[in-house]
Amino acid sequence: MNGMSGVALSAFVTVLGLQYVALAAEGSPEVTSSPAANAVEVRIGAVLASNSSQEFDARLAVMHRQFNVLFPYTSYRLVKEEHQRVPWGGKVGFDIPGGRYVMVIPREFKNDRVYMKVMVIEGSRPIIDTSVSLRDHATFLVGGPREHEGVLILSIGADTLH
Amino acid sequence: MVERAMTCREALNLLPLFFDGELDANQMRAVALHSTRCGGCEDQLRRMERVQEVISAQVSGAVDEVDFSTLWRGIDERLGTVHVSWWTRARAWWGERERSWVITGPAFAAAAAVALLGFLLWTRTPPTTQPDASQVANVDIESLDSDVDAVTVLNDNETRTTVIWVSDDTPAGGDTP
Repeated sequence: MNGMSGVALSAFVTVLGLQYVALAAEGSPEVTSSPAANAVEVRIGAVLASNSSQEFDARLAVMHRQFNVLFPYTSYRLVKEEHQRVPWGGKVGFDIPGGRYVMVIPREFKNDRVYMKVMVIEGSRPIIDTSVSLRDHATFLVGGPREHEGVLILSIGADTLH
Repeated sequence: MVERAMTCREALNLLPLFFDGELDANQMRAVALHSTRCGGCEDQLRRMERVQEVISAQVSGAVDEVDFSTLWRGIDERLGTVHVSWWTRARAWWGERERSWVITGPAFAAAAAVALLGFLLWTRTPPTTQPDASQVANVDIESLDSDVDAVTVLNDNETRTTVIWVSDDTPAGGDTP
């Protein structure tokens, strides 16, 4: 009888343990073996989009399709482009038009993705305060801040350095 | 609501935690805003970054100098092989089995539990052939906060692009793509 109670107890504890492990695995991404990235280069591009002309800046050729599909503007002009190298956990800042400021803090490189915090600050308030993860060499866009007769679209990307 | 500006004293106390990413979102924002406007705190942060770079370079250099190529060969050479007859192994197995139901019982129970858990997990996951947004898009947004009127996140599958769009002084949807 004692033996069977022990078996039942063991099974119960095992099920609980395995469920805990399974739930933990669901909540945390599996770490894959990626070559260690020593630092990261953060890229920022500031594009002024408007309907004031039909101009499309040739330097934005690789993003032509994205802009045409995603946004209702006829003119896209690259007004600033900058990239800075930063260690993991370090902070990098970019001044962008309109007295705004972009701050990026790359956190870690895990599962071939760059985890980083991005803040876009206008005056004394953060208009965007986000934590994102993106594939190495990928880019995402932040748009909407008004600038002159159009809006500002920021492209923010990261490339790991090995 | 107007937030009180952080002082240098407060910021300097929090800089190490900021650097290690251990502050909560509000504190991190306050320190970040302060350091963008305070040269002294900004310099302190830069110094911490440089120290980390130096330490990281030193550690990486030391690890690179270690030769692991002969490690397994060395271990393998020290491993011996013991030959045990099949009869001895069978007797040992049977004797162990007779004496230790207390051990094998839980082992069978654990195996049954694993099978049950596997079945439960399998039945919980609906089959799908469609890629989800996180697979299509290059970017996953873990958290998003903003002081503006409206923020829209667009994950466009066609261009595989993620857009965070802020609309501040315009009516909702006015300028949103």
